[in-house]
Amino acid sequence: MAWIAERRRRSRFETVVLSHLDAGYALARWLTRNDADAADVVQEACLRAFRYFDSYREGDAKSWLLKIVRRTCYDWMERNRPADLVPLEPETHTEGSPHAPAAAVLDADALLQNRSDLRRLDQLIEELPPPLREVIVLRELHELDYRQIAEVTGVPIGTVMSRLHRARSALRRAWEGKECR
Amino acid sequence: MQCEEVRPRLEAYIDGELGETERVSLRDHLAGCADCSPEAATLQRLRDEIRQAAPTYRAPEALRARIRFALRREGVAGAPSGLRASGWLAYAASLLLAVAVGSGGTFLVLGERQQGTVAAEVLDSHLRSLLGTHLTDVASSDQHTVRPWFAGRSDVSPPAVDLGAEGFPLVGGRLDLVAGKPVPALVYKRRQHIINLFVLPASRGGHGAVLSRQGYSLRHWDEGDLAFWAVTDAAPAELVEFEHAFRAGTGS
Repeated sequence: MAWIAERRRRSRFETVVLSHLDAGYALARWLTRNDADAADVVQEACLRAFRYFDSYREGDAKSWLLKIVRRTCYDWMERNRPADLVPLEPETHTEGSPHAPAAAVLDADALLQNRSDLRRLDQLIEELPPPLREVIVLRELHELDYRQIAEVTGVPIGTVMSRLHRARSALRRAWEGKECR
Repeated sequence: MQCEEVRPRLEAYIDGELGETERVSLRDHLAGCADCSPEAATLQRLRDEIRQAAPTYRAPEALRARIRFALRREGVAGAPSGLRASGWLAYAASLLLAVAVGSGGTFLVLGERQQGTVAAEVLDSHLRSLLGTHLTDVASSDQHTVRPWFAGRSDVSPPAVDLGAEGFPLVGGRLDLVAGKPVPALVYKRRQHIINLFVLPASRGGHGAVLSRQGYSLRHWDEGDLAFWAVTDAAPAELVEFEHAFRAGTGS
């Protein structure tokens, strides 16, 4: 019976995927920076995930859901807040040397320095451009490893490393600036 | 390892991403290097500060309920076209069908089509009451407060009775909409679960069975000229117990 199959599919989805709903919500909350928007995005993402559920094979369900939540966030921001999606300047992703040229950290850095009113680390993270914000959130708060972050964000591991480095450098400068005051 | 080799690998080291050989030689270097070890300590401290400063966001309960609800509709949309009808009617059909098929020994009278619609509307109202802030209009466990509140607000006067002693404390009541008509809903609790009891003018057919689907249970019985519809996310057996307690409590 199609109905029984459908019920099984949904119940498996709820067990496998919805157990990571908190993680999905947290990522959406960091990217949209707003409770109500995060909830809308996560709901849409879960419906998408349910539609694609047949393409999910046993494995890392958390990364799988986070990938869909992230994609949905960006689609949502494109529709509703295109100004938030400033592209990063070209970045290096040489596997052996994650250090980007000094100039490359300047944008995020300048961005944070300009907001001298914002001095709490969580606020500083929110001010990072989305591609840097998401790697920090996925690494430090979701505790994903580089391979998982690459999977979720769809970039090579070298790019994950260079973005993490840029994000940390920017946060660190602003954070040390605070400590020197 | 020299400092120049160590620095580009420091973050990977702290992130636990180095292979065993590299990790050990980096650790040995840090133990003896007065330049690199403070750098590593600063990075470590930055990480700790980030983890401490960042709020932990959790999906609100209402969102969870909203998603389960939306998934159910999604299932209907993807169903065989014969059942695709429009929203709730299709859902009601699926609900009845699922019970008929899924519960084996349970004999279920598939009453008039209308019964299914009422079941669906009642479940809809139940879910709405959990999602929003509008669970009760009158919050009280005192039947002498709850019952009179409905006077003049609806056609039927619900026999509100507190069943706290039986494990179903009365939480209050509210006016809800079922099939476009104002209907009293009595709100009970079973531990952490909410039971909504909708009181409608009596109908016929389809009583006695507990319908259950994806964690929600419905039970319907008639009493005199009133029809009762109980809905909860507690176990189906609890609704049977609830009906007995309610009937005993209202003296029928």
